[in-house]
Amino acid sequence: MRRRTLTRRWSFWCLVLLAALALFGGRLFSAPPDAEVAAPFSKPFWLDRSLPPTVTADLTPDAPSAEIPWSWGAPSRFFVAADMVADAPGRTILWTKPGGRTVEIAPLKKGVERDGRDMAFKRALGLPPFADGAASLLDERGTYRLSVDGQGPWEGTVRLRLDGGRWGLFGTDQRGRDIAALFVAGIRVSLLVGIMATLIATALGTTVGLAAGYLGGWFDSAAMRLVDLLLSIPMLPILMALAAIWGKGLWQLVLILSIFSWMGTARTVRAMTLSLRDTAYIEDLRGIGAPTAYILRRHLLPETLPLLLATMTLGVPGAILSEAGLSFLGLSDPRVISWGRMLHEAQTFGTFTAGAWWMLLPPGLGIAVLCLAFLDMGKYLEERTDPRLRGGALS
Amino acid sequence: MRSYWARRVGSSVLILALVLVLNFVLFRMMPGDPVASIVDPKFSPEAKARLMEVYGLDKPMLTQFALYVKSSLSFDFGISFLTGRPVADELRSRVPNTVALLGSSLLLSALLGTWLGIQAARKRGGALERLVLWGGALSYSFPSFFFQLMLLMVFAAAIPIFPLRGSLSVPPPLGGAALFLDYVWHLALPVLSQVLLGFGGWALYVRNLMVKILGEDFILMARGRGLPERRVLRGHAFRMLLPPLLTILLLSLPGVVSGAVLTETVFSLHGVGRFLMEAVTGHDYPAAGASFFLLALLTVASTLASDLLYGVTDPRVRLERGRGR
Repeated sequence: MRRRTLTRRWSFWCLVLLAALALFGGRLFSAPPDAEVAAPFSKPFWLDRSLPPTVTADLTPDAPSAEIPWSWGAPSRFFVAADMVADAPGRTILWTKPGGRTVEIAPLKKGVERDGRDMAFKRALGLPPFADGAASLLDERGTYRLSVDGQGPWEGTVRLRLDGGRWGLFGTDQRGRDIAALFVAGIRVSLLVGIMATLIATALGTTVGLAAGYLGGWFDSAAMRLVDLLLSIPMLPILMALAAIWGKGLWQLVLILSIFSWMGTARTVRAMTLSLRDTAYIEDLRGIGAPTAYILRRHLLPETLPLLLATMTLGVPGAILSEAGLSFLGLSDPRVISWGRMLHEAQTFGTFTAGAWWMLLPPGLGIAVLCLAFLDMGKYLEERTDPRLRGGALS
Repeated sequence: MRSYWARRVGSSVLILALVLVLNFVLFRMMPGDPVASIVDPKFSPEAKARLMEVYGLDKPMLTQFALYVKSSLSFDFGISFLTGRPVADELRSRVPNTVALLGSSLLLSALLGTWLGIQAARKRGGALERLVLWGGALSYSFPSFFFQLMLLMVFAAAIPIFPLRGSLSVPPPLGGAALFLDYVWHLALPVLSQVLLGFGGWALYVRNLMVKILGEDFILMARGRGLPERRVLRGHAFRMLLPPLLTILLLSLPGVVSGAVLTETVFSLHGVGRFLMEAVTGHDYPAAGASFFLLALLTVASTLASDLLYGVTDPRVRLERGRGR
């Protein structure tokens, strides 16, 4: 018997890692996941080493200058913005080239912005209108310096961003958002929707299954008829309609998914209850006058619990895939970042026209790995509850 | 005792009835004023009322439902709010595409899956068995649309051997044979992706069933009689395999139809699923209701067909008394 302990399953550690990322992953990134951090469709940093990276620098009164070593060609964009509460008369933002030549970027004022593509900025630099501002500001290799010069107090931050075309672990999407940050933010949605929907569906299915199996009669036949009917209708079209009707919020999605995925559990629990109903100890309980609700709650439910745990874990991938499918079809809240939504955006913008495959792989593989992990965990739990199953797939 | 056939047909009718009710309730509850999408808000109230009348939206709910059932059963789905053309016309050109996609991918994945499953069961512990086990696990956990997007990325965008979108080239080629080839070329990648995603589940089922069947006494007996292995497999084991295979087909149909909606969207095929998708996002009730109804009808019809086939292959179900299969 190999790999019987929980801690020796890869899926356990995978789920632990993903859960940790979902809880604390946001702290890995300085900017919120929906902030624009680099040029749209920037490549992952490890992909094309000849491309300049995306460089950012912040100047504050405590650190009024920053050195920028540069050994690539020109970046696609040179962008400086001052985030301040008030103007700082007498101070200017300076750009010093490796040779020592100094260019005045702008006076330090509240809300001042300079973009290398801007006509007025190019004219101020003395460039012809069709010149590339970024290329003329970074025209040699060496160490550049951005600084705030002059006299007088100032408060706030001066931000510099050089868009090179490379960013982060997974690059950026069509809006210049960091895909790694989006990926981490998406874990939360997938886990939340998958687990919540399965929990609610299991609760529903267990209730129906217990009642149908124990009570029998018209309730049983009606419930099982309903299960048969719901199982024979294609689910995705209904989910699509419901998502369009009830709105695209996260909780609506959880509700919709759980309403249409309790049937399997109901069947399993019913079968189990049926076989338990006529056992001697349950008959004894009935004989000594135990109320039905008591028998169901204290004796039948605990019997089904170990089985339920495995069924539940095996049900999570279905819910995750359904959520991803609906989001992929664009039927989710566009403000909520989820892996399905990322795939939707990858298909709608960019993946094919811009060749940005890095938008596609992280969320897709994320879904696949998460689902496989839950599947493996479910198999493990199933084996623990029913040792005859040992030796199946993935074990 | 009611006959098996009557019960099967009866349950199909019941499913259809449920679909009709669900359909009516769901799509009447859609948000957004449906008239608003075709009428300028600046229109006079009279013009708006006139339009409501044309689309039958002013009558009481029950009358609307009766009208709805009558028109659904006669495939008269009204006029699309978005295109202004009869929905039936829009759908007529799409149904064959969806049927072709579903039919060919189901058939191919069933054939491939069954064959692989049998081979895996014959040589247990081999590389093929491992492939089947992993293929099965992956087909449960791999998001289909992601897999399809990757296929598109590789075989349509990076290496352009397959078209990126659509069911036919624009403009379509002239001539019957060229048109057919163009159609097959456009359908190839969607079908291939569905087969690659679907065969794993089949193979896993067949392998598990076959392992059980090959352990039965009558197989031992057949082998003991000195029958060639080929005969044992085809004459004895396969006959036992057929009824449960049909059950799997039956149970997988709704899922396959759901998958087709995604597939058609990913590959921008001219099918019912994508029509539903567009209708749902555009608050186009008649179109959405009609395509949902057609998809459900397609499922119910194929379920009924395999149910009846089940009765043919396994006499026990046909002759069984009372409820249940």
